[in-house]
Amino acid sequence: MSDKSKQNISELMDGELPNDCSRFLLKRMQSDEQLQSSWNNYHMLRSCLQQEHDAPLMDNLGAAVVKQLNAGVESIDTAAPNRFSGWMKTLAGASIAASVALVAVFTFNQDDLNSVQNSPVYAKTSQQFINPPNASMVRVEQPTGYTRYPSLTPQIQQYLSESNYQPQIPVYYNTEYVNRIIIQTRQKAQQNNTAEE
Amino acid sequence: MNSKNQDKMSEKTLDAELVEQAKQGKMAAFELLVNRYQQKVANVIAKFIKDRHEIQDVAQEVFIKVFRALPNFRGDSSFYTWIYRIAVNTSKNHLVAKSRRIQNTQVEFEDAESFLSNEDFRNLDTPDAVYSRGELEKTMSKAIAQLPEDLKKAIILREVDGLSYDEIAAEMDCPIGTVRSRIFRARDAIDQALRPLLADESLRREQHVR
Repeated sequence: MSDKSKQNISELMDGELPNDCSRFLLKRMQSDEQLQSSWNNYHMLRSCLQQEHDAPLMDNLGAAVVKQLNAGVESIDTAAPNRFSGWMKTLAGASIAASVALVAVFTFNQDDLNSVQNSPVYAKTSQQFINPPNASMVRVEQPTGYTRYPSLTPQIQQYLSESNYQPQIPVYYNTEYVNRIIIQTRQKAQQNNTAEE
Repeated sequence: MNSKNQDKMSEKTLDAELVEQAKQGKMAAFELLVNRYQQKVANVIAKFIKDRHEIQDVAQEVFIKVFRALPNFRGDSSFYTWIYRIAVNTSKNHLVAKSRRIQNTQVEFEDAESFLSNEDFRNLDTPDAVYSRGELEKTMSKAIAQLPEDLKKAIILREVDGLSYDEIAAEMDCPIGTVRSRIFRARDAIDQALRPLLADESLRREQHVR
């Protein structure tokens, strides 16, 4: 390595080297260890002279940083600017919250739909008695803890549960008599509704 | 400003060139950039953190953050102004995290138990490294002290007082070519004094790795 090259490095770091020479030298330095070493040592002299009392003298920190970057998961690709900053983040958060609320509302209302559409199915034969038809539709009595009206007192919840139009009857009580009772109860309820209207 | 000055690559343009190359993934360019600003960053961190080992760790963290954030650097401000802000924020965050660690001492004990299996904790300086750093500072101070007076004055006017070559020429009452030569010779003298020491140190590091 010539003295001229080293003097060029000295001038480059002070902003005293012409543009074209600077670009050439920068390119060359990246593949020449001797030139890199001179750059580092010249800067270490600068570090030593500019070092403040409390700070340690920094010695070729670049090598340690690059080593860590190469070893780690860091890469310029993953460092792409985050396009979802500021108000976009807020908007995304609000969207998620709204979706959750919507799902909650539909789930809540689904109970009402189920109570009308999925009326209990009852076994009519001995075979069905063992394997009830459309078993997934069979209503299961829920403890009051799972009520749709959690803010009400247990007594009122119990009352509401008992006064429901669809009586909670275990599947093994399935007889024509029970079915008739249910039909009567429904008719009665419909009549009441019509009378109220 | 004459046309000759305009043809020169200013320090700001030099930084911008290195940043541009680092953005393209040229790690050698980023290494040159780190070594260019390592001491200034350490000086900033030292205003917040007193422990010398911590300063080095935080400085490393600062430059890793700088690398990750390079795509965001548009060059509106100088590169140093930009990394100065990152250094200040990183130092403050380090202090906050450290105070949290002190509050959660139990966690620290658990970390200490898994010391041997934890890669992060092995980056502490060995006594050898501390010794060689001390030697480096001694050698550097000795080499500066031994510089001829004209070289010493030129390099101090440049690095400590931050004068340009023109201003140094005026101050020392000599041609600008002489200033170039004196500054280079001062740097080269230090370079020559450091090389054997750094070669020993890199050899020791290699042996330590093996």
